[in-house]
Amino acid sequence: MILSSGQPIVVQVEVFSILLVTAGIFVFLFMVNAAIVKSDPLAKPKGLVLIGMLYYEFIQGLTNDNMGKKTAVKYGPYIGAIAMFMAVSNLSGLIGLSQPTANYSVTLTLALITFFLIQSTKIHYNGVWGYIKGFFEPFAPFVVMNLFGLVAPLLSMSLRLFGNITSGGTLMQLFYLFTGFLSSLFPFIGNFNFIGVFLAPFLHSYFDIFSGLIQMYIFIMLTTIFIGNEIPQE
Amino acid sequence: MGDIGRGLIAVGAGLAVMTGMMTGAGQGYAAGKAVEAVGRNPEAEGKIRSMLILGAAIAETCAIYGMLIAFLLMFVFQ
Repeated sequence: MILSSGQPIVVQVEVFSILLVTAGIFVFLFMVNAAIVKSDPLAKPKGLVLIGMLYYEFIQGLTNDNMGKKTAVKYGPYIGAIAMFMAVSNLSGLIGLSQPTANYSVTLTLALITFFLIQSTKIHYNGVWGYIKGFFEPFAPFVVMNLFGLVAPLLSMSLRLFGNITSGGTLMQLFYLFTGFLSSLFPFIGNFNFIGVFLAPFLHSYFDIFSGLIQMYIFIMLTTIFIGNEIPQE
Repeated sequence: MGDIGRGLIAVGAGLAVMTGMMTGAGQGYAAGKAVEAVGRNPEAEGKIRSMLILGAAIAETCAIYGMLIAFLLMFVFQ
């Protein structure tokens, strides 16, 4: 495809992996839903129903702790949705997809949603006038610092996720190049990267599983804390 | 870009990764404090561990920024 200005439209690889990830989540959730509908509410939960209940309890506990019970009901579904999307897309590097979160557009979008939620919560509790007045507190020259403080969480949250996932992917690429070079020194084996086969699982379990899940946890934790900060204590 | 330019880019990338120095010190300090906390009340071990991992991962952001700059220097300015 070509734009009217003559520049070609580049469809990045991550678009397809986002589609695959969301399709996977969709199918999984349909299975969980079917299992819940069929299950006996009085019996002990097991299988997919148990997974669904544990996930719900995890999200509920996290939001209740940081936002209070009343608002947790409102924001819980959003937190659960981005947690699931981020966890699956961070883990998708394990099956050879290019991770959606290794693209800055995706992480910036996720951080932007959180940013607008924070601002809308602020406006909801303070009113528009109180929101504008909040920038000039404690006195007028502080407006510069308050504006920087407004943008800082957006940048830090998006860059943290993006940097972690990208650096993990790049390090794994360098690692495969290096082990490929090392194993090419051995005779008779040819280009088969046999050293990487033995060493890669440990690095994958750190960079993809541990780092990916921790970054997901930090993202939803910071989202709930930032939103919870704007809610006045009664 | 000449040979000297490429070399300077490599030097810049190396310097950018030096942000990891103080991150290491900070994470070590946090881990030491966590060990002290577990020594004081061992029954809170699970909570302390999760908070340590959270804090360490947030502190790591700084080093990750340095690494991002290094990657940008290496792959963008070639």
